Amino acid sequence: MLATRTPTPRGAAPRRPRLGVVKFASCDGCQLTLLDLEDQLLDLVAAFDLVEFAEASSHRSSGPFDIVLVEGSISTPEQAEEIIRIRSQATLLVVIGACATAGGIQALRNWRDHEIVRRAVYADPAYVDALATSTPISDHVTVDAELRGCPIDPQQLLELLTALAVGRRPQIPNEAVCLECKRQGTVCVLVARNEPCLGPVTHTGCGAICPAFARGCYGCFGPREAANTGSLVAWFGRDGRPATETAALFSGFTAYARPFRSAIDDLGGPPGPAAPAGDTPSQEVGGDARR
Amino acid sequence: MVTRDALMAGAREPEAGTPKAAATSPATHGSDDPAGFLPRDDFDRLFDLLRADGRTVVGPTLADGAIVYAEIAGTADLPDGQSDRQSPGAYRLEPTGRARLFDFAVGPSSWKRYTFPPRLPLTRGRRVDGQVTFRAIELDPPRLAFVGVRACDIAALLVQDRAFSRGPVPDADYVARREAAVVVAVECVSPSDTCFCTSMGTGPEVTGSFDLALTELDEGFVVRPGSDVGRYLAYRIGTRPATADEIARARRDVAGARARMGDPIPTAGLPERLLAAADSPHWAEVAERCLACTNCTLVCPTCFCTSVTQSSDLAGSEAIAGRVWDSCFTLGFARVAGGNFRPRVQDRYRQWLTHKFAGWWEQFGTSGCVGCGRCITWCPVGIDVRAELMVVAGPDGGGIETVEPLAPVNPTPRPAESRPISRVPIISRTVLVSHVRHETPDVVTLHLQTEDASLLTGRPGQFVMAALPGISAPPISISRFHHDGFELTIRAAGAATRALCSLRPGETIGVTGPLGRGWPLEAAYGRDVIVVTGGIGLAPLRPLLDVVLRERERFGAVRLLYGARTPSDRLFADELSELAGRDDLEVHSSVDRAGPEWLGRVGVVTTLLEQASWDGSRAVAFVCGPERMMEATADVLGDLGVARDRIWVTMERHMACGVGLCGHCQLGPSFVCRDGPVFSLGELGRAFGREGW
Amino acid sequence: MRARSDDALDALAGTWFGSRLPAHARSRLAPYLRVASYDAGAEILREGEPTRDLSIVRGGRVAIRLRVPERGPTTILTVEPGDIIGWSAIVPPHRATSTVVALLPSELLLIDGEALRAELAADPELAAPVYLSLLEALAHRLTGTRLQLLDLFTVPGAEPW
Repeated sequence: MLATRTPTPRGAAPRRPRLGVVKFASCDGCQLTLLDLEDQLLDLVAAFDLVEFAEASSHRSSGPFDIVLVEGSISTPEQAEEIIRIRSQATLLVVIGACATAGGIQALRNWRDHEIVRRAVYADPAYVDALATSTPISDHVTVDAELRGCPIDPQQLLELLTALAVGRRPQIPNEAVCLECKRQGTVCVLVARNEPCLGPVTHTGCGAICPAFARGCYGCFGPREAANTGSLVAWFGRDGRPATETAALFSGFTAYARPFRSAIDDLGGPPGPAAPAGDTPSQEVGGDARR
Repeated sequence: MVTRDALMAGAREPEAGTPKAAATSPATHGSDDPAGFLPRDDFDRLFDLLRADGRTVVGPTLADGAIVYAEIAGTADLPDGQSDRQSPGAYRLEPTGRARLFDFAVGPSSWKRYTFPPRLPLTRGRRVDGQVTFRAIELDPPRLAFVGVRACDIAALLVQDRAFSRGPVPDADYVARREAAVVVAVECVSPSDTCFCTSMGTGPEVTGSFDLALTELDEGFVVRPGSDVGRYLAYRIGTRPATADEIARARRDVAGARARMGDPIPTAGLPERLLAAADSPHWAEVAERCLACTNCTLVCPTCFCTSVTQSSDLAGSEAIAGRVWDSCFTLGFARVAGGNFRPRVQDRYRQWLTHKFAGWWEQFGTSGCVGCGRCITWCPVGIDVRAELMVVAGPDGGGIETVEPLAPVNPTPRPAESRPISRVPIISRTVLVSHVRHETPDVVTLHLQTEDASLLTGRPGQFVMAALPGISAPPISISRFHHDGFELTIRAAGAATRALCSLRPGETIGVTGPLGRGWPLEAAYGRDVIVVTGGIGLAPLRPLLDVVLRERERFGAVRLLYGARTPSDRLFADELSELAGRDDLEVHSSVDRAGPEWLGRVGVVTTLLEQASWDGSRAVAFVCGPERMMEATADVLGDLGVARDRIWVTMERHMACGVGLCGHCQLGPSFVCRDGPVFSLGELGRAFGREGW
Repeated sequence: MRARSDDALDALAGTWFGSRLPAHARSRLAPYLRVASYDAGAEILREGEPTRDLSIVRGGRVAIRLRVPERGPTTILTVEPGDIIGWSAIVPPHRATSTVVALLPSELLLIDGEALRAELAADPELAAPVYLSLLEALAHRLTGTRLQLLDLFTVPGAEPW
């Protein structure tokens, strides 16, 4: 596909697509997944011209890119500007991972008073300049494709890059984790053990790892299409399970993604001690790093 | 009914010393053979015998809180003293307190895991310097023995036989596995609360299509052989004749199971009522609860829908196409370039239930549901199909009236068609791209050349699946036939079609086909012909026009109406001008908008028909274009008096296989790939133009 | 010798629009009918100008055009023999909503707008079938326009592959 977008003079070898990997607010595990593709790494750099990947190479470029993989959420004013610059430099912008696709676990701060949290965590908050929210890349620029996960799945990354190189539609199915459990023959933890599992509303791609170890899916790939969280929430609560327990299930790495976000809001917000109002930082505010 | 013995007929000569060597005479169905008895302590003899025959024995065993079907070594692996308590959305193991090996119903897995594995590589494709080759991946079907098959699951195997081995193109891997599997049935004496085989007429009694049927008593098993293989097994494991008391107790226990289940769904008239409920508001209500998670379809022992996956190296020079379990509940199932025929969950739920309980009758002559209850237990939110069916299509009408009911299906059980079973897997054949013509900015015609005679026997309206290694193969209509090949006119609407449009002369591609039912030209002999088409829709009609003009004297008045977006989007513009110059047909072109240089019509192509005064009762119409355009055309043709049985359209749906196996292209009870893509409006009935169908 | 209005009356009856009017209505309109011929390329109506006549195309083909500054004059509909143009002669504010140009040498039947409006206002029994036929012709045009608006021949290409 990219070959047809970049016409080359007849007889010349087709130019390798320029690939960039950039990072915003994240742990870096998603971009590391590219380096984890050890067996295919040499073929990948033969197929793509890796022009920007700070974690792997001192060879830098600020663009332009045929493809850019974007990890991390937008958490600071500088990042909010940089993503717009990256978008203007990229033909294809692919977001990778829960931070870039959903805002990440750090998006839990979106439910709190950022000022209070900032002062509770940092000894000298004046040096910290952050946005009140951690938001997915798609809240800022148009996104062409996304890979979900925390971290993303290496096989899905390989499929995306291979598909771009070969010219086929990437096979990143937007369907429930349940299909993968059933194909593998994993016994459903929800039905057989009443173990709460977000699999039915979560985007597949991980290989259904958690249920294979008899624990419920915690939604790290984020909501799939037509995620009927309302029905699943009603089911979880049918035998008197407290709303806060169900809210906790959704309040993880992809809490801020839309149907999960609304489910949390309907259940009274992410569980944890309520942030006190006013400007006196309190040591009771959840997550005081000095403790 | 299809029996394993019938499948075995035609198998290669059995090796001496194996159970199959004893299969010398035609099968009888078990119920006439005297019953034997096998003490519980001797049960392992069966396993030893099957394993000595080189078979993998699969049976029920405990795993992760459920009873699943997995490879087992012997009696010690069976769930001794265990039962299952099932209800919508819940499954629990429960010790029974008695030493029984089969005191449960069914678990989340079904035998389809072994006859129809979740993932299977099919084809290896190579592409080097623009030359492609495709090879089938050699089948390696395991020799299996299923121990513990319930009556409902036997019925499910027979149902899948119809889908996979009795259709026009069989699934070679399924046939091989099914043929090589020994079936040791065990009758149910402990049904669960979600079982309803009694309503579906599939159990709990095991009445046929098995090698051995066992009924468990405390001290052992009443054993009934059902085939020569079964007789041989019974002889070798040394059963003694069962006493009348043992037989009576066995019958009583199974009758007890029947009594406990009752008859939750009155099925008489159900298919018709279900089709009449297509517009019921209840579908939207179910959709509020349904997660579209696909669990019901994957635990269902008869669901057979699959998708084709592509895996390749980075260069796309080596690729493997494989088959994977899919479900009509996924988003991509009904997706085509630029749209989705079942975007809403309520459309998908309606499709599944209606297909299972009504559409199957039309397609395969049997209900798709065997009453095993798995979909009820394993639905994460406990949706119970028994209850949903009673609401939407219960015998008292459920209070639902639909405006225009779909044509009812005939729910009479039909015997499976007897057809020789081909073992040849479907494989793409290589053809040469001899010439490439750019018709419009996004449409290309490939001239393909071949010497393969089987590719040169097509009819107008048929299509091929056009494959490049590592890229999904889309269905493309044949746009002209030649003595040494054919043409494909392709619009670059997605990655696969774009790849095809980038081909150069001298390169090769793979094709499967010609497929489908073409335009019925004979229906138009002696009649006026009206062809209405738009955009890329002219492509499948061009070969029809070729035939009509070649045999012009067989037809009455011939009219062609062709619509396009703008003058530069018109397909085959030179040919159209030539046709317009002929005096033996009328050609009317129209575009949606144009600049000042266009002196032809601007407006919808049907305006001409609306203002015409010809008598349509003598005419046959052939229509192809976007569905909305075809609907508008059909209305206007009807106003002119053209009978619905004489309006022929060509339908588009998502196709993964093109041969009636993957299930994606279903439109009501029809497979667009093999019952169509050409249909008359009479055949489609109200399915034409119905939202989300 | 046939009266000129008889020829025009026959011509009116022979058109799709005219054939849908009852005979008595056609007879009442006959005195106001004129025939006009246009060369290919001639402008019949200009967008924004007062519409003098309700017209029925009798032969040839006329184009209805809207001016789109970046694209130039764009033909959004052609009117074939039998169909009407200039309905704004009946509907206020009686100004042409588009420019009409003859694409091919064309012959039109013209009905004087002012006179027609007076007749329709004065005689409800004439007005009823004329307004109904006009409404039906415009309804046909509207449903056709809706299908054009759907742009069915375009495949939405939202994805990069």
